[in-house]
Amino acid sequence: MDRRKSFPAGKAPDAKRKEPPPAANNSKNQAHDTRPNSHALKRVKFNDARNIRSQPPDAALEDGRLDLQKFLSAREYEIKALETSMRKCKASNATRVFQQVPRAMRRRTASHNVKRVPKRLRERAKREQIGDNTPTVEARKRRPRTTRARIRAETAKKLDILAARKRKRRLEKPAVGGAMVKGKEGDAKPTVQSRAPRPKIRRNTLNEPPKIKSKFRKRQLNKTWLPTHLWHAKRATMAEPSKPIWRFAIPITSTEKCYRPTHRASGQKGAVAWDMSYMSTIGLYGSSLGVERVLRALGLTQEGLWAARGQKWRGGSRKWSGLLSKDRKESRRIIGPATIIWNPEPAAETAQELGDPKRSQRELLIRTHPSCFLELFNELLKLVKMQSPQLHIEDLRFEIGSIELTGPGSTEALLGILKPYDDKPGAEYQADIFESLAGVTNPASLPKDAFLAFSARDPRLAYPPKQVNVPDRTTDPALLETLTKWPVEKNLAPFGLFSRDTRHRASQLPSQKSINRRKGSSLPGKEVLVTAADPPIPVILLASRSSTAVQAQGTWTLMAPWKCILPIWYSLMHYPLSTGGNPRLGGLDEQRQIAFEQNVPWFPGDFPGTDAGLSWELDQQIKRKRDWDRRPKGKRVEWKSLDLGAGRKGEIGDGLACDFEHLFGLPKNNISGLNNTQNPAISDDPNAMELDHLDKPQGAQASEDSPNPMAVIKQMTKASFGALVASPTNEKAPNSSIVTVTLTFTGRGVASPCARIYRLPPQKSPMPVLPSTQAEVPATEPPPSTIFGLPPSDLREQWLGKLPAKSTSSLGGKGRQAKKQTSAPPRMPPGADLKTRKRLLAASLLTAEPQFPKSSTNQTDVGRHPLCPGEEELIGFVTAGAFSLSEGKGTAIGSLSAEKVLETVRETGAREGHLCVVRNAGETVGWLARWEVV
Amino acid sequence: MVRLKDRYLLVHIIYTDVPAGQAKDSVPDLLLYNQPTTGELKPQHLLKGIRSEVASLFGDCGSGAIDRSLQVKYLSPATSTFILRVSRDHHRLAWAALSFMDRVPVRNGRPCVFRVVRVSGTIRKVEEEAIRRAKLLVLSAKQEMSGKSSDALGALLRGKDQGRSLTTAADQDDDSEMEDVDASRD
Repeated sequence: MDRRKSFPAGKAPDAKRKEPPPAANNSKNQAHDTRPNSHALKRVKFNDARNIRSQPPDAALEDGRLDLQKFLSAREYEIKALETSMRKCKASNATRVFQQVPRAMRRRTASHNVKRVPKRLRERAKREQIGDNTPTVEARKRRPRTTRARIRAETAKKLDILAARKRKRRLEKPAVGGAMVKGKEGDAKPTVQSRAPRPKIRRNTLNEPPKIKSKFRKRQLNKTWLPTHLWHAKRATMAEPSKPIWRFAIPITSTEKCYRPTHRASGQKGAVAWDMSYMSTIGLYGSSLGVERVLRALGLTQEGLWAARGQKWRGGSRKWSGLLSKDRKESRRIIGPATIIWNPEPAAETAQELGDPKRSQRELLIRTHPSCFLELFNELLKLVKMQSPQLHIEDLRFEIGSIELTGPGSTEALLGILKPYDDKPGAEYQADIFESLAGVTNPASLPKDAFLAFSARDPRLAYPPKQVNVPDRTTDPALLETLTKWPVEKNLAPFGLFSRDTRHRASQLPSQKSINRRKGSSLPGKEVLVTAADPPIPVILLASRSSTAVQAQGTWTLMAPWKCILPIWYSLMHYPLSTGGNPRLGGLDEQRQIAFEQNVPWFPGDFPGTDAGLSWELDQQIKRKRDWDRRPKGKRVEWKSLDLGAGRKGEIGDGLACDFEHLFGLPKNNISGLNNTQNPAISDDPNAMELDHLDKPQGAQASEDSPNPMAVIKQMTKASFGALVASPTNEKAPNSSIVTVTLTFTGRGVASPCARIYRLPPQKSPMPVLPSTQAEVPATEPPPSTIFGLPPSDLREQWLGKLPAKSTSSLGGKGRQAKKQTSAPPRMPPGADLKTRKRLLAASLLTAEPQFPKSSTNQTDVGRHPLCPGEEELIGFVTAGAFSLSEGKGTAIGSLSAEKVLETVRETGAREGHLCVVRNAGETVGWLARWEVV
Repeated sequence: MVRLKDRYLLVHIIYTDVPAGQAKDSVPDLLLYNQPTTGELKPQHLLKGIRSEVASLFGDCGSGAIDRSLQVKYLSPATSTFILRVSRDHHRLAWAALSFMDRVPVRNGRPCVFRVVRVSGTIRKVEEEAIRRAKLLVLSAKQEMSGKSSDALGALLRGKDQGRSLTTAADQDDDSEMEDVDASRD
């Protein structure tokens, strides 16, 4: 409102506001006058467009006789007439202007507000809106309808007056005061140069979020905005304001439809970018011996890291990424994934103190996920205080931000926006290496754990970013040599990002206004030169490989000072990729989607055995419960009445949860109020509920750390599980520990989160089963192979028979035959003679179960599909599952009970032991899948 | 919302005899088949002819079914081509009527054959087909002019390629389902 009045008189203040079509809105009489006219015009236009011209017959005749030349010209005329008709018709088609805008740019409001369509189309839009009398409203003239709106409007008016008064006063004041100051002591006192205050980072305590503009402070009471929040809030669904994720307002997903575009951009063409400034960074400082002890205590115990092989990592030319863990009473508990970077020692000192690891002071950055940040910070604090001489840690959360990029165009986009601070080659060695990476289409093609650190120029100086020249360099020997040798050790100097002063200087970027001024004064087309006012931006570029698959796209992580993320982001989002388009924005959902498509577990969602993963899972449970509650009763799954076949009723455990409590027999957690009703297996009658409540405190004692009984569940790493499988002694897995696995369906099937995973039922000793010839017992009695409440005894064979033919050949055709006998009578072969037909018919009449009356459903099978194994075969739950666009079939990521899986693998061997049955929560049909530990 | 679903038929009028006052030998086959139609034929005559034929073939029911939507979208006497619009449900009645008509529906009309060459859900595709056929005819006429004897019957009957000849129209009934209905103008 203030702004409107501050416009200079010459400038039309209405330029930003909606201009309704004058004829349609302002005066009704005029509208009545114009409408018939415009309608008539339109009709004429359409009639004209539809009319196809044609010639009289004389045109094809030469004096009444047939003639070739005339024939030809008549056809040519016809072709022309039809073509014009098609063209005219298309032009007069009933499409409106806003439909011409690319889909991504279309706004619903554009059909009412001409200001919402691109400028070049505005005139036409205006005419169209007049033509069909679109009702338009001018926001400025709209009368407030509700009391609240009226009060708001009144307050706005009052504030307007106040602001005008204030402005007036301010204009008067400097004129008077300035003159006074100058007259008194203007030249007597030298002006004091003050530097901007450096933000305080205290040792061993948590850092405070950056000071927020007062305008936005109220909205960030219980969360922090990312540096690009305002940009994202317009283009993405953000985390609910009252329910921030990890105390940040994180973009969840783009408001556009983006599932398939993200898949394409991440794998085939384009790039996806995330503002990952919510990732937490911790600085660790101290003597190298102390640091080593601390890191060993965090689970970096591989000897390679501390021996010669880890020399590159400790020297600061490679990073380390992996899972950190902490010591908990004779077992280790995983905290979460982290990336650790060492700062190289300054060159001069290395010569002096090479032999003295105690004296040399080292600096490290630990980048971790915000959901496990506090846990890691506390653990680090404890470890750091135990060392002598003491080390110290700093919380660099709001000091260092980051952007992640993936996709074939990611390297190109980075090259386009990050220019080395010093133009001349050789100034910074790593910057030169970065520049030479043009042509790399996959960050995973860099050496493992490679990273680059250099200082970049303010990207706004070269805004808008220009396309870099991308040579097809897949076979370029120079690039190949760089990629294989990775010569970053040369001239290794401490990184700028570690230095607080450099970071602080980089956050004092010149204002956009001053850059605009410099751009305006330089010649058009000329780049703005770097001056002393432009500080270098220290960046670290991490190239990471996400999965074990060779072809999978890697990820670039750009770490830069928090305040520099926004200008970099703006440039990045406007970089014109050589394959067309710009990098896409991604949210949390896209992060999960890409991880899922690459078959990589996503932290914290796929790690329910960690504290962070547990709290994520509990949040998800609440969300699922809320969604379930919101559905009408007839349209939601009634867990109690789910018929699992063979007389088993009701969902196993809580259908809305990955119910590990149920799996491990832990006491129920009722804090969230989830499990009150839909848990028939355990709490069918009120008395049982009471008992559950009574049990709870004991369960809580079992885990001191957290009141949740699920907290005793431990995550096992692939390595430790592999060691257990390989161990010759039948060592048992630790109690209630889980392993994360990827699941691939052998045939059909798509899993969703919370799906139940069963192992195959064990081979049973044949029970007194009646021969199948006597199968035609009345349907009221249970079929012979089924004892009520138990699945059929040959369930394992039935499931093995479901394996695709290729693999069954080695597993034995026995299972298949068995299945054939039980399921269906043999089909009549084509071209069988009468005798065989008769015989088969007789056989089928004798053996087949009568079609009517039908045996009660799901007794021996679910529509000729094997039944699910029993509850005792439950081994785990799916945490993420969908149809995978990269695999072309259903895949899933889940967690299995290590104990049960180990048992199965030892009993049945690696081949059959890795088979499992996955059944979605609330469904009766399970599908065969194969699991693989990740 | 209920749309009125239509079909568009592209029809050629094919003649087999020469007009009065011209020797049959002097006329190449190409011209013989693709003669212009008399200027007396107006759209309303055509409609009347089809309606009466439908009435005689299918009775009142048939003629009533067709009555609503039958319309001539384009009639070019010079090239003996017209485009007919019929409702989708009953377009086969009109087609059958066309097949049974053996004279130009004017007084003392010449004997001719009405050949449906394309059925489509949108007029655009019909127009494209007409253009394609006209281009083929132009090509063969040019061949004729350069002295080579062209395959007149081939140019007349040729569908999309050499393989598709007489079955063209019948086949194309089906692919009209996938036409872009938005482009139709009715």
